[in-house]
Amino acid sequence: MELICVGLNHRTAPVEVRELFAVAPSKLGEASADLRSKIGVEEAVVISTCNRTEIYVSGGYEVVAQLEELLGGAEHCYHSSRMEAAVHLCRVASGLDSMVLGETEIFGQVKDAYQAAHQAGVTRGVLNRLFQKAFSIGKKVRTETGIQEGATSIGNVAVDLAEKIFGHLKDSEVMILGAGEMSRVTAQSLQSRGARSIFVANRSYDRALDLAQQMNGHAVRFDDWQLVLGQVDVVIGSTGAPHTIVHKADVEAVRRKRKFRPLFFIDIAVPRDIDPAVAEIEEVYLYDIDTLEQIASEARVRRSKQIEVCEEMIREELQKAQLPGL
Amino acid sequence: MDRTVLLISTLLALVGAVWGAVSVHRGSRTWWTLAFIGGAFAAQLVFLELRGQMRGACPLRDHGEILVFLAWSLTLFYLFVGRPYRLSLVGLFTAPVVVLFQAAALWPGVMSVEPVRCVGVDAWREAHAAVSVLAYGAFALAAVTGVMFLVLDRQLKEHHLQSGLFRNLPPVRELLRAVMRLLWIGYLLLTLGIIAGWLMPHRGGWSHLIAAVAVWVLYGALLAWKQMRGFTGRRLSLLAVVLFLLSLGVFGVI
Repeated sequence: MELICVGLNHRTAPVEVRELFAVAPSKLGEASADLRSKIGVEEAVVISTCNRTEIYVSGGYEVVAQLEELLGGAEHCYHSSRMEAAVHLCRVASGLDSMVLGETEIFGQVKDAYQAAHQAGVTRGVLNRLFQKAFSIGKKVRTETGIQEGATSIGNVAVDLAEKIFGHLKDSEVMILGAGEMSRVTAQSLQSRGARSIFVANRSYDRALDLAQQMNGHAVRFDDWQLVLGQVDVVIGSTGAPHTIVHKADVEAVRRKRKFRPLFFIDIAVPRDIDPAVAEIEEVYLYDIDTLEQIASEARVRRSKQIEVCEEMIREELQKAQLPGL
Repeated sequence: MDRTVLLISTLLALVGAVWGAVSVHRGSRTWWTLAFIGGAFAAQLVFLELRGQMRGACPLRDHGEILVFLAWSLTLFYLFVGRPYRLSLVGLFTAPVVVLFQAAALWPGVMSVEPVRCVGVDAWREAHAAVSVLAYGAFALAAVTGVMFLVLDRQLKEHHLQSGLFRNLPPVRELLRAVMRLLWIGYLLLTLGIIAGWLMPHRGGWSHLIAAVAVWVLYGALLAWKQMRGFTGRRLSLLAVVLFLLSLGVFGVI
């Protein structure tokens, strides 16, 4: 019996193929158990996320073709066996194979998939030891390397900066200028980290109302955004206006009312919404889309430089473990 | 013996500062800074106990003793006020100030080698000296925290976000809250110190007390202005630093 992995992911298959073979989280145990009856393997774990569907089995190499058939044929599939399959699982669990390098969600998804298969009674000596080892290696990789250091998307960079300025965001209020998708996503990230309330100002008041309702926030008429500026801590600019909206004088006008508290401007609009001169005000921190993207890109570069270190760690740990089936 | 203990304390604080700086430069956190400063604090206590026995009174009779008492008070506030609020890196910024004060105290001529034993100890004088130096310890830590804010503010303003120092510094708002909290603690202690100073016998004149009252008025004005009109973080921090440096002048009028 040897360890076999067959799968498809965001690099080998487009979304219209991936969605055909995606398995709902509640069906993962059943899907793993079905493999035993369909192709006669002793052990099986099916992992399915929005970016991948992978099957790990303990069996003979001849099952590869059958598993590829289950995933729509060899065209979009990759496969590996023994040590390479184990290394692949560890890379997946560590976030090295993810679309966003080093992301953490995949670790929980792999764990859930394994638990579902384990509860369905289709894991034994080979896969139990392999997955347990993969989890411990995944943790080690994340804690001992820089693979998850720094935010890699504009939204996450903005949220990290907001936390660097305000600490816990539960006392912070946010205003969005413009009801675009980017500002919604960024504001939602701030809200998920505890931001107390969200104000939405948009030229179309109906869209502001819509977005405010979605986010449990308050809509503000576009002409009134200056009134709200006195109370919020974070302002996200993302209107489609061809000129700047927030000027130095607007902020100067509310400084005393704000008692000179820190104010964080996130300008993700092009052309920019916030006049760069606003940053000259002492308590203002202004970040535009280029700066945020540069910070995110530097984090991505730092993470990619860690790949080799992580892979070396994975191989070393797997060799030490002497797992069955490799 | 007392100087040896003080030297040990200074070296421990120095090692803590260097160790902390190297760790932060590498982008990691270390508990060793806390351990070394804890050791320095213990040695400070031994030093003050030895000097207290020599003096037969609270050891605040010459500039050297005052500097060490101030360093002890700063360390005390770091350990028992700064730490519970989980403000990382306060130790790293505190340690060099402790080293500076204690190194100055060790400088030849600053601290009397054979302290004169005090006769006729007055309780109000002792209370005035001890509580006031504690107040200056709180003001010192407020200044240290202000410096931390100034460093972080500059990094955020200039978008220099990659250093280990940036990653480990506490958030802007927490630093500013800590500065205010420490200023209030210092101010309340200084108020008590001045009351005790008012009640003690004034054989050497009133100049020292007048200087202390001037410091009290300045800190009071800072706090009142902050409460009523507010300050930018930068101004509050700069004022905390400047006022502390100015307030050290009080010790020149003993």
